[in-house]
Formats: sequence, C-alpha cells, structure tokens
Amino acid sequence: MGVTNDKLKYDAIVIGSGMSGGWAAKEFCEKGLKTLLLERGRDVKHIKDYPTTNMYPWEFKHGGQVPAKIQEDNPVVSKCYAFREDTMHFFVKDVEHPYVQEKPFDWIRGYQVGGKSIMWARQTQRWSDYDFEGPARDGFAVDWPIRYKDIAPWYSYVEKFVGISGNKDGLATLPDGEFLPAWELTCVENYFKDFLAKSYKDRHVIYARCAHVTKPEPIHIEQGRGQCQGRALCQRGCPFGGYFNANSTTIPWAQKTGNLTLRPFSVVHSIIYDEKKGKATGVRVIDTNTKEMIEFFAPVIFLNAAALNTNLILLNSTSSRFPNGLGNDNGLLGKYIAFHNYRARISGKYDGFKEFTTDGRRPTSAYIPRFRNVFKQETDFLRGYAAGFNSFRESVHQSTDGLFGEELKNKLTAKPEPGDWNVGSHMMGETIPKETNYVTLDKEKKDEWGIPQLKISVVYDDNDEKMTKDFIEQMTEMYTKAGFTDIKTSDSKNSPGLDIHEMGGVRMGHDPKTSVLNKWNQLHACPNVFITDGACMTSTSTQNPSLTYMAFTARAADYALSQLKKGEL
Amino acid sequence: MPSCLQQDSKVSLPLKNIQVNGDQERMMAELTETILPTDNTPGAMVLSSHLFALMMVDDCFKKEEQEKFIKGLQQFDELSKKKAGSSFVKATAAQRTALLKEIENKKDIPEEVLAFYNATKRLTIQSFTGSRYFLTKISPYEMAPGRFHGSFPVANFK
Repeated sequence: MGVTNDKLKYDAIVIGSGMSGGWAAKEFCEKGLKTLLLERGRDVKHIKDYPTTNMYPWEFKHGGQVPAKIQEDNPVVSKCYAFREDTMHFFVKDVEHPYVQEKPFDWIRGYQVGGKSIMWARQTQRWSDYDFEGPARDGFAVDWPIRYKDIAPWYSYVEKFVGISGNKDGLATLPDGEFLPAWELTCVENYFKDFLAKSYKDRHVIYARCAHVTKPEPIHIEQGRGQCQGRALCQRGCPFGGYFNANSTTIPWAQKTGNLTLRPFSVVHSIIYDEKKGKATGVRVIDTNTKEMIEFFAPVIFLNAAALNTNLILLNSTSSRFPNGLGNDNGLLGKYIAFHNYRARISGKYDGFKEFTTDGRRPTSAYIPRFRNVFKQETDFLRGYAAGFNSFRESVHQSTDGLFGEELKNKLTAKPEPGDWNVGSHMMGETIPKETNYVTLDKEKKDEWGIPQLKISVVYDDNDEKMTKDFIEQMTEMYTKAGFTDIKTSDSKNSPGLDIHEMGGVRMGHDPKTSVLNKWNQLHACPNVFITDGACMTSTSTQNPSLTYMAFTARAADYALSQLKKGEL
Repeated sequence: MPSCLQQDSKVSLPLKNIQVNGDQERMMAELTETILPTDNTPGAMVLSSHLFALMMVDDCFKKEEQEKFIKGLQQFDELSKKKAGSSFVKATAAQRTALLKEIENKKDIPEEVLAFYNATKRLTIQSFTGSRYFLTKISPYEMAPGRFHGSFPVANFK
C-alpha cells in the first residue's frame, strides 16, 4: 500500500482553494513556481459542476425550499440565508463535519474547490486608515503593523483582476478603487442618499461595490469570463463568470501556466516543522478517498484554510519546538477571535415615487458606510457599524384573502398592481477581539480522520449590545426623518457566526510577544509559513472582508517570492 | 364487497411522513380544483396541485404542522358532511363553493380545518405561480435579464 503517483516536492504549497488560497496559487504559478494547491473537499469545475445554474424556478422539486428533514438534521447551516434548495450542495452539512460549541456559534463552511467563494455575497469595500488605526486609537487588540498605503496598491492589483463594479464616491472612510460601471440605484435609494447628505454631516448612501464584471476588460475576456447578466442567482455559480469566484478566475488562471497541481480530497492534518532547519518543510495530508497519510514538501507554505480551520491546523501542528501549535510561542494562537455583528435589521415603506418601479435584476444594493465614532469617539461604545440599504417595489398579487375559484384565478392572472416601495437595512457591526473569545482543540472528540474537533467559544459583549441598540435608534431616526413609514426593527439575537465573517486567532502585529504574524503575514516564529485568510485579522472593521484577504494574499505572495529569490526563506 | 366501501385505497405518490389514503387524495384533488379551477388556463387538475401539496406537506412541513394538516384534512371532510350532508368528493359544485365560502369567512371554523385549508390554498397557488405555464405565459421569468432600471415608469411596465 501507500503507492501513489503523487509528486511529493513542490516550490510552494497552498492549503485551501477558496477566496485567498486561489490567489496564492495564481501568484505563485504565474511566477513559475510549481505549486501544490490542497483542498479538503471535492473538485468543483467552473460551469460544469454548477448543477443548478441554469435551472428555472419550476424545475426545483420544492420550489426552492430546503426539506424539513435536512433542516432538522442540520440546524446550523439551515439558518444561513444562502442555504436553499438551489445552493445546498455547496454548504457543509452539520452532520458531516461536527464541531464543539462551547458557546453557541453558527459555523458556516464550504468544503470544495473554490470554498465559500462560490456562495459569497460579493461585497467588496476597501478598508481605510480609519479602520487600520482603530485598535491603536481606541486601545484594543494590538496595533495593525500596516496602514492603508501598504495595502492600497494591492487592492488595485486585485480589483483589476477580479472585476469590481462601483462608483467613485470620494469618501475618505471608504477609499475608491478600480471600478467597472455600477448598476443603478433606485429612485428611493437616490432619494435617501440626497436626504442623508443634506440632513447629516458625514452620513452617506453609496452604491455597494461588488465583484461583478459589469463591463468586461480584456483581462476578464482572457479569463474566459463574460458580462454579468443581472441574474442574481450568483450562489449557484455563474455560467457567464459574471461574478468572481476562485473556480472561474484564479484557479483556471493558475492551471493555464502548467505549474499547478490541484489536489482535492486532501485534508491537511498538520504542517511539518523541522527542528534542525528551524522551519516548516511541508504538510501532512490525509487522502479522504484512500485514508492514506502523505507528506508533501515545499520551501514555502501558504495556509488559507478559512479563518477557523487555519487556527485548527496550526493548533494541531505540534512539535517539541512548538508543543502548543506552530508559531504559538506566546499562547495567543486561537485567541482574539472576532466577527461581524449582523443581529439588527430595520424595514419600512415609502409613500412616494408611485410612478416608478424597478425593471430587471441587479446583484447588489446600496450601502451606508460607518458613520459612528469615525473621526473621534462619540458614543459609550467603541467603533461602529455599516449598513446595507435596499429598496424594491412590491409587485405581488396583493392579498388572496377570501378568494377561491374563478375570482382567485382572475386575480392571479391579472397584471399585478405595483404595491408599496419597501426599504430595508441590516447591520454590519465591528466587534472587539478579546482573549476570551477563542477556539481550541477538543481534548476528546475527533473527526473521521483522527484530527481533533475544533471547540469554539465566542460570544457577544456589552459593546455589541450597546452598538445593536444604537443601530436601531440611529436607523429609526434616519428612516423616520426621511419620511419612511411602517418602520419595523428587530434584533435576531442570533449566535455569532451567521455573518460568515469570523476572523482572527493568528493576528498580525509588530511584536512577536503580542501577535502571531508579522506585517508580511509570516509566522513570527516560523517565517516560511504565511497566513493570509481571515485568521490573520487583528481587528474586523465593518467591511465584508474577502477583498482585504485577497489583497493581503497577493501582497504576501509577492513578498514571499522576493524572499525566495534572495534565499531568505 | 362493493368497491365503494373499500376504505384504504392507495395513494398515488410515495409519502414518507404523512399517511393519506386514496380517498383523501381524491378529496384533495377536488378541493384544489375548487380553489383553482381549470378554465382557459391550467388549473389544479392539470397541474396536479394536490400531489404537489401533499409532497410539500410530506417533505417540507415540520412534524407538528404535518399532524395539524392531517387532522384538519379529516375534520374538513366531516365539516363537509355536516354542512353539505355529504363528503366533499360527493358534494355538488354549489355545495363545495358554499363550504369554501364559509371557511374563507373563518366564522366558527375549527382551527385545524383553517390550518389545513390555508396550507392547501397556499400550496395550490404556489403550484400555479411556480409552474412553467405561469412563468412563461403569464409572468415570464427571465433567466438572464441583463438589465436593471431603478426608476422605471410604471406606465411602461409589462
């Protein structure tokens, strides 16, 4: 046994083929490195493996609904807004990959080539120095070892390749990027935008920048991607490649070089540390089909397994030099986990613009950048929240109350009367990383490969409660002043996790005593291991984080290449 | 033995969670057709709305909702016997219409019957508005619209 055709030595190993891992593979392959891209799940080939992508609504057996049995067996993933009959094959079912919830945490995962980049919400707002300077100014976590100027060129680099639709808004808090044309805002969104601009200082409504090719540039054509058709069925995978995912873009790009070895069904057990060389030399992989353990070797390793699984792999990579996990000299590994607070929502109606409606579909909405505590501390809680802003006109067949037979049939087949304009926002709050919010390895429970299960202990704190309350108050005031009616607010009291923005545990910082990664995303104590997924995040800010992970990855890969050239790794 | 006394005729679709017999299935067929008749557009009989409804109850309802539905289904037929003097299947079109009117008025209707009727009506409507016919002929579904207008004149809307 143990016979394998695998080549065992590579120039680089990337663990995880999603949002950030795909970028590492692309960068290395383009520069001529023979790269092994490891993925724990199955392969998902662009278009070919999107089984529902061209299905019409009537082709779904349950009209899009997830059957009750699946929901009962999988209570966590069933809470996810994107887990539907047309997308559920891309989500990890609770029963397949159990984890330990020391405190309730809804961990949403995608174990396949492309990872969660297939089903992401495609929102791509840049960070600014108001975000990077947060921890230092407000005295939490540790100071970020970088500033906006360090990452700005990498945002541009990534945006041009990915294709980002946006407007130049000229806001210091949310820097402009390399934009393709924007979809339209609605008349109600434009009204609210104008209203906020004249009624408040520094509160804005903008078009929410998103990873959609609204007008392909030559680079997108070269990738084989076409123009976004406004299907808004993105989470099924797009036959046009209209939005960015790793499957349509970074992975095929890496494959085209001939330098990529993509290996699905490969669960990484741990990273191999060589005590004599004083560095990592490779990874131990369990082939999930043969159950065989195989060791692969490379001089540089990028760990992009998604935030919490990256923590798990490091914690499980023990040696006599690192008995508590690779790079964990200070005991901080797995700690200071943070996320985004998405608990609160508000909705309302607007009794105007009756002469207008919307026509067609768009894959994004409007966005209200953070306005709380931006330029100075002004509330009894730290940091703040961004918000979505969406509007649509109901065009339903109104009520069918009391109707049956011919009357009902007439109602259903008549041209629908346009109903009210509906408006709505959801909260995207920054949370404060704390030592007490952590992940660790469970001492007894193991997965089917004998790897310890991850134990998660992450909760809201008083700051989150105050911020949730403030969101509801401020948004209610803004909606009321704008003349929105029938305003309803809610606090879902959801457990952390459904934001799918879990971050940290392997934070960046200046000082090896108080952080795990340096400013180039290298483990302080093992510099040929780079971590550029959500695990590296020192703080969370409010923006959807994928764009920042991609920029970090491209920047770190460039640095790794320069160090390899110098023989420094 | 006369066939009309045969109680447990078989249902025509495989059900995993709820128990429905052939007579009840037939009643569902008559009820859904009364809710959504076939005229110049397809109705419940053409769309097999009753089978869609039963499948949805079986696959997508929680256990307690299923129990309520089945209870309501039985009580519905009893209500028909009480009000119209015969089971729903044997009732005349006028008797069926009268019964549904009463249920729609919600006065003195047992909770389970209302839950059963409302669920059946909702699923019947769904089987119509989610059908290929509806989404190609009445309100065409566009797979790839390729456009979004945020201020589109209602007057021009099709």
